[in-house]
Amino acid sequence: MTSILTVENLIKTYPAFRLGPVSFKVEAGSIMGFIGRNGAGKTTTLKSILNIVHPDSGSIHYFGQELPGNERAVKQRVGFAGGAVDYYPRKKIADIIAVTRNFYDNWDDDAYRKYMNIFSIDPQKAPRELSEGMKVKLNLAIALSHKAELLILDEPTSGLDPVSREELLEIFTALKERGVAILFSTHITSDLDKCADHITYIKKGELIASETMESFLSGHRMRGEGSNLEEIMLHYEKEDYREKFAE
Amino acid sequence: MLSFLFLVFSFMALIPGYPILLGAFFICFGLFQTFQNGRETNDVLYSALLPIDKRDVVKARYIFVCLIQITAFILMGLLTALRMVFFASAAPYVNNAMMNSNPVFLAWTLLIFALFNTLFVGLFYKTAYKFGKPFVAFIVASILTVCIAEVVHHLPGLKFLNTSERLPLQLMLMLFALVIFALATVISCRTAQQNFDSLDL
Repeated sequence: MTSILTVENLIKTYPAFRLGPVSFKVEAGSIMGFIGRNGAGKTTTLKSILNIVHPDSGSIHYFGQELPGNERAVKQRVGFAGGAVDYYPRKKIADIIAVTRNFYDNWDDDAYRKYMNIFSIDPQKAPRELSEGMKVKLNLAIALSHKAELLILDEPTSGLDPVSREELLEIFTALKERGVAILFSTHITSDLDKCADHITYIKKGELIASETMESFLSGHRMRGEGSNLEEIMLHYEKEDYREKFAE
Repeated sequence: MLSFLFLVFSFMALIPGYPILLGAFFICFGLFQTFQNGRETNDVLYSALLPIDKRDVVKARYIFVCLIQITAFILMGLLTALRMVFFASAAPYVNNAMMNSNPVFLAWTLLIFALFNTLFVGLFYKTAYKFGKPFVAFIVASILTVCIAEVVHHLPGLKFLNTSERLPLQLMLMLFALVIFALATVISCRTAQQNFDSLDL
């Protein structure tokens, strides 16, 4: 299978937190779930691989090209949504999109209108008039509207109602069947149970595992560490919260 | 929007009995409003998410700043030519104790613009968020420059700087200031791009 994204030994250090080294690969036509509890380093990882956060070291290759030096070409083929739309809160969505679309060679107006319709977003509204969940959907609609071959999504189902979450997971599955690769971070493990092919688990900035969903689950089942993602996550994190309760 | 509107301060080049170099300061103040508006709307994040090199966010902003400044310079240049040709013998300009618009005035204008690009824009991109200290730095430097510019043409032997005399020399000074403006802007832009590239947005 073709590797769309290869991350090797990514490191980012903050005064009170160190991420990495983190290494993983995302293949075409697959969904990778990037899991960990809040503050584990998921968002830092995703932002680092897009140079929104500047990594200290590591190599990042998209479609066989290194990210530094090919940023423009890479970003044309990658869709990123990091939570809710957090810019131009008082500008009409239609006006924001009128500018945004010009930057993409493969902007797909039909797809944009389709997703805006699915997500029930009125383009005549401004972002500040939307709920947090709707702002997340708007960000997703933009990410899905330029024929991206890889989608990098930071907690895309966070804040969404159950029906919207189900819709989104169906969209991901349909895109995967069309060969799109999807990397999405979440702490809602039930979302990954439904659609993920691979799992990368991060705990306190450290990579615990990066393997197929099947092998991740079967390995932990055999060792009695949980029969689904939620139980496995509790197994990894329980020492921490028990220690904190004991203090 | 304000950056465009503040271009009208170019017309201060025609005011007699006034430190007309402040017109350049006000034009930069209009540009400051753009940065302020950009911060309020989180334009940096929006721009960085577009399919562009992260450094191009900075380059684009410098290009916009220079566009406004060059437009202002051209406007001031035309108004200066107008004053020198048609109002050269008008009493308010002949008896003007403050700066008259001439090529030397245009040279000082370019230096004010260079200070803005280096001090304000350059320092802003160290954080892409904080503009208080950068703006204070620019205010202090530009007001000092205005004061020096207003004093210099009163010094013995330098009175010609406020007239139409020795025009070839005045034009050379203006060209020299243009070179300083261009170099300062390019160096500031490259440094700002490096700083911005290593920022966490």
